Amino acid sequence: MNNATKKWLFLKASSVVLIPLMTWFILNLISVFDKDYVDIVSFFSNQPSKFLFSLLLVFAYLFSALSISEVFEDYIQDEKIKNAANKVLNIFAIITPLITIIIIFNLDT
Amino acid sequence: MENNNPLSPHIQIYRWHISSLVSISHRITGIINIAAITIICFWIASLLLGENNYELTKIFLNSIVGKFIILGLTWSFSFQILSEIRHLIMDLGYGFELRATKITGLIVIIGSFVMTILIYLIGKQFI
Repeated sequence: MNNATKKWLFLKASSVVLIPLMTWFILNLISVFDKDYVDIVSFFSNQPSKFLFSLLLVFAYLFSALSISEVFEDYIQDEKIKNAANKVLNIFAIITPLITIIIIFNLDT
Repeated sequence: MENNNPLSPHIQIYRWHISSLVSISHRITGIINIAAITIICFWIASLLLGENNYELTKIFLNSIVGKFIILGLTWSFSFQILSEIRHLIMDLGYGFELRATKITGLIVIIGSFVMTILIYLIGKQFI
């Protein structure tokens, strides 16, 4: 299996996982966004929200890194610039969810 | 190594169809959604500052602008969800006929607005 096929399969698998997770998240975001500090902390620090939101972060950043790299493939011809852009994208897609998940698991109700 | 792969033509030379509108909107909403998730990550990080420092965020989220942004995000996520389902159906080999692409494209566009209203009403426990 070549890299392009693997990338496509990861993209499709993450998309299947993201559909229910995004629906769950947006429904809950609507119900909590205007609430008090305690309610927001309670939402992000209690189960199953803590687990589901962490899962959403991992798959959302994986999906976006794979999708945006496709956009780079379509619009950037210079290989060096494309590789540098992909590296920045991948670092961002690992660090942002990782730090946020650590924060979520350290939130106190 | 020199890459001679052809690039995508620039969007201004396309004649607009429902399919192209859905396709470009899918990419735009994808970028909006990941930017929104990143802002939500900062929002979560700001919770570490404590209750006293949250007041300003709460005032913003309860303002008309804040509510409009959240509603806009709901539409953007709804569009992405429906468009992704359309892509998955096409990946299974269905819906490639011209008529089918127009119908499914329209379902995504109209459905995203209907889904936004439904999610808002369910989220706010109006239904």
